[in-house]
Amino acid sequence: MEGNPRVDSSLGDYLVELRGIVKQFPGVLANDHVDFQLRRGEIHALLGENGAGKTTLMNVLYGIIKPDSGESYVKGRKVHIRSPKDAIALGIGMVHQHMKVVEPHTVVENVILGLKEPRFLLDLKEAASKVKQISERYGLKVDPFARIWQLSVGEKQRVEILKVLYRGADILIMDEPTSVLTPQETHELFSSLKTMAAEGKGVVYITHKLKEVFELSDRVTVMRKGKVVITRGTEGADERELAKLMVGREIFFHPERTARPPGKEMLVIEGLNAINDKGLPALKDVSLVVREGQILGIAGVAGNGQKELAEIIAGMRKCTSGRVSIGGADVTNKPSKFVFEKGLAYIPEERIGVGAVPTLNVAENLAVKSYRYRPFSNRGLLNREKMAASASELVKRFDIAAPSVETPALFLSGGNIQKVVLARELSGVTATEPPKVVMASYPTRGLDVGATEYVQKVLLQYRNEGCAIVIISEELDELLALSDELAVMFEGRIMGVLDRDRFDPESIGLMMAGRAAEVKGG
Amino acid sequence: MMDPSVIAQTMLVIAVEEGTVLLLAALGEIYAERSGVLNLGVEGMMAFGALMAILTMMATSSYVLAVLVAVAAGLSLSLVHAVLSIHLRTNQIVSGLAITILGLGLSGFLGRREGIIGRPIVALPDVSVPGLSAIPVIGPAFFDQNLIVYFAYALVAAMWFLLFRTRLGLNIRTVGENPAMADSLGVNVYGIRYLCTLVGGALAGLSGALITLGYYPAWTEGMTLGRGWIAIGLVILATWNPSRALLGAFLFGGVTALPNAFMSVGYQQIPSSFLQMLPYALTLLVLAAASIRGLRKKVAPPAALGLPYSREE
Amino acid sequence: MRVASPFNLNLKDIRLIRRSSLPRWESILFSLSGLVLAFVVTGVLFTIVGVDPLAAYWAISQSFANPILLASTIERATPLLFAALGLVVAFRLNFWNIGAEGQLYMGAIAATGIVTLHLTTYPFPKVIVLPLMFVTAFLLGALYGVFPALLRAKFQVNEILSTLMLNYIAILLGNYLIYGPWQDPGSHGFPNSRIYPPEALLPSIPYIGGSSGFLIAAIASVVVYIIMNRTTFGFELKVTGDSVRASRYAGMSYTRVVALAMVLGGGLAGLAGMSFMSGIMGRMKENFSGGAGYTAIIVAWLAGLNPLVAVMAAFLFGGLLVSGDTLQITLNLSASTTNIFQALVLVFILASEFLKKYRIVWRGVG
Repeated sequence: MEGNPRVDSSLGDYLVELRGIVKQFPGVLANDHVDFQLRRGEIHALLGENGAGKTTLMNVLYGIIKPDSGESYVKGRKVHIRSPKDAIALGIGMVHQHMKVVEPHTVVENVILGLKEPRFLLDLKEAASKVKQISERYGLKVDPFARIWQLSVGEKQRVEILKVLYRGADILIMDEPTSVLTPQETHELFSSLKTMAAEGKGVVYITHKLKEVFELSDRVTVMRKGKVVITRGTEGADERELAKLMVGREIFFHPERTARPPGKEMLVIEGLNAINDKGLPALKDVSLVVREGQILGIAGVAGNGQKELAEIIAGMRKCTSGRVSIGGADVTNKPSKFVFEKGLAYIPEERIGVGAVPTLNVAENLAVKSYRYRPFSNRGLLNREKMAASASELVKRFDIAAPSVETPALFLSGGNIQKVVLARELSGVTATEPPKVVMASYPTRGLDVGATEYVQKVLLQYRNEGCAIVIISEELDELLALSDELAVMFEGRIMGVLDRDRFDPESIGLMMAGRAAEVKGG
Repeated sequence: MMDPSVIAQTMLVIAVEEGTVLLLAALGEIYAERSGVLNLGVEGMMAFGALMAILTMMATSSYVLAVLVAVAAGLSLSLVHAVLSIHLRTNQIVSGLAITILGLGLSGFLGRREGIIGRPIVALPDVSVPGLSAIPVIGPAFFDQNLIVYFAYALVAAMWFLLFRTRLGLNIRTVGENPAMADSLGVNVYGIRYLCTLVGGALAGLSGALITLGYYPAWTEGMTLGRGWIAIGLVILATWNPSRALLGAFLFGGVTALPNAFMSVGYQQIPSSFLQMLPYALTLLVLAAASIRGLRKKVAPPAALGLPYSREE
Repeated sequence: MRVASPFNLNLKDIRLIRRSSLPRWESILFSLSGLVLAFVVTGVLFTIVGVDPLAAYWAISQSFANPILLASTIERATPLLFAALGLVVAFRLNFWNIGAEGQLYMGAIAATGIVTLHLTTYPFPKVIVLPLMFVTAFLLGALYGVFPALLRAKFQVNEILSTLMLNYIAILLGNYLIYGPWQDPGSHGFPNSRIYPPEALLPSIPYIGGSSGFLIAAIASVVVYIIMNRTTFGFELKVTGDSVRASRYAGMSYTRVVALAMVLGGGLAGLAGMSFMSGIMGRMKENFSGGAGYTAIIVAWLAGLNPLVAVMAAFLFGGLLVSGDTLQITLNLSASTTNIFQALVLVFILASEFLKKYRIVWRGVG
């Protein structure tokens, strides 16, 4: 059901109204004639998966992005928000997912950073008492004179919110705030937000979690692929319906995905638990099995543990408990060198900077893992001729467009850099035999159509030849097209694993949004 | 054997005198580093300031002019470093070293050229603070000094206040920790870095003036004796805090008095070398302490120290 | 039309476009013009003060033309080259070792220690004295260099600051030794170590004169070149220096790489210290280095972190040091006059480095 919002003549009812917002990025229409309103005193959830356009829309409202067309109205007046300064002046505040606080400063100092007044002398006591006032009013407990590095993540977020409220915001945009919070902190956040709404402020709450939509919001707007799919009151909504709308699409199968009986177990993960960089649990009891000749796609909104899972499999992060084995060999908590010697290829999320070093040339990048083995080196001495020869062969095989193997990687296009990464990883440790398991994190992110197709083709090719492949991607389409099985991650757990025949938007949507669905046995 | 209280007093006097030279330079460097600019050129600025002060004094017999010229000397050298480091985003280490070499070279060259080696001037007179200067032992050391020293005391308080209680200070500290964020909040990153680097240069020049006008009123080549480098170490020991710099300055200054003190009580100079190592070892300890989780943020250098900033990158 | 001043000249007026590549000739052109500018400005400065710039430049050139001075140039270039080689390795890793001065002192201390031992308690067979000095100088320098490396690897201690502090500690240690237990009894209280006997001195190069230490350093530069370009360690150095995260991903251990790099770096600096003793001074004195550890940073940087180019760069700097003395004798200028020239060269080349990386576009006009 396409929700067509009533064009209200009494604009005063709405704190914010966005009409017909269009924003085109190279290759993707992020906002496709989006209409959105925020009423006074309401908490309005903005629900959608990766790339649906929610953050883009709010960035337009906050002045970080200028829309290609469309109109914005704030408190009944038409406005042109050219920068966050304009937005703040209008009473809009945004709390981002990745917090922008200065660690050594105190809470008060962070809150008053960037303000015009007071110009010279800082009356920290006065500012602190104002901060205290606000924090007590909305239940955002934090010590004004504490230094940021002493605070927990939840408290840091409160500082962000206090910053926004201190500047007199009555329109708050929260972007996926709970991904870093404990359940207790989430509860406190919700009660703060409800207090704000009760006072007449408006909150836009971006999320992908159904539970939160129902616990918190008055209305919900579902976005998909840049369009608003529905806007309706939360009460009485059916979560399955919402999930389906969030994800609903036709599923296209990749032409080269031929049916193939799965081989023996190649990558086995059992009961994996891990902590992320902030000290919070990232993985909770994750178990997965990938067989020879199978592609397991891992879906889910970014930030639900996928990064940590990939890093643990690749030996770049330690798990706190559980087991990982490749081809029968235990690789749990072993260093990355050991893991790739056991047959794991890892295509990292960060192509430039991790996967490939821009200042090194093609041959060097191709040899960055294999340089320590024969024939590329012998007792500490490098054999550059062999490196170059192997590089030339790989360049041919993987069709890498580079003037020569001595060309620094920074001169290659994104797609070709990814080809270099693929070429290196897929040719295995000694550059001759294929790997047993391929772990690919967001392999087609930022690539053009041609490069994307190529990468997908290559992955399928290696699948057909017997590799066990895990793909993490934010493009659900891609996963649906390539995968034999689809696992959905949410808050560090595997919500379910679906077999090919049971790829169904409703189930997937529910799992991505936090509701467990039918779990494929095994 | 001399009377211990006399020895103590002499040591204290030296500690205050040497310490103030270090203090001035360190205060300037604290500001520069707080804004994220590493200035290794302090030694050169100090040397140049010392020379220009004495030259001006000889030419004009005006202490005021001598001080002003010395400050200008330090300022001009730091301007070069600022342009290189801030706008041109060059390697701040190499740039700072170049300035040190330039400053030392200029002072050596001009000093010899003007033929002033060893020619004495009248040193800055001491002004004793009524009452306070009569306190035994401490009195003459702290309160019977020249005006620049008193200025330094006041400067410590002023700089501390500016850094921690004003908007400018908050902005400076933010620029040094996270320039991108400061920029997004509308703070003029380049402007603040220039300001702080120039303040560093001015104070380095002033500290040089203190050497020649105050304590060694005749010029010889290389008379700064590495004090500029010591000041840089002092900044670390003081954890980039002006008030701690005061204590550290006296500590560093005090150890230079040790060799003489030892000799006058009959010990040879020898063990004093180890005691002289103490401030540096302490500084190392401070650096290592920054890695301990709990202490890290309290004693850590500004996060953006030495890193050039540009809006695109 | 707004007048541009440095303060309204902000990023809005000038757009800087990062160059993707620079043809070799343009790169050399920029560096050369930096050099030329330095000459010009120094010449102007000389003229202002009443010195004939041409006479000054002639004096500087004598460091390379006059055979006696040439020998001196070679001598003084030797420690610079050794230290610079060590720095080339460290800087390639983006490990900013400012501690070459301290590591150099440790090498000198080691060498002097052996000599003192040899002359007092344990006379060694003459043949092994020099090699023993080499080895201990390298080892002590290496140890002193590995320490800050480990501090960085394990405790994330900023190496610029830590090595700076370690310099002082080493210098003070050296002072203690030559004022105290290792003082030459014939020195009457002056801070000198005992004079090095002939077996502890580096032999001169036949015909040219000058210390053979330079030849050894030149060989070392070839060795360093080979290490950096032809070994697995050199490869790890390069990768880790360009991207620490990528090196972790590739299975390299940062601790191992930085420790090895500083063994090499500190060790070479230690050899620099030894070459001061055995090649130039014949004994350890106070302030013997003249800040060579810091000068070496400049040499390494000007050499573009290329060990082979460093030979030339060190040679040139050695010449500059010698010409400082020449200027003092012939024109009664301070020896530190050449410092001005040195510094200006640096400043202009630093500036030209910037132009090599960025193109300046002024409001649309290229």
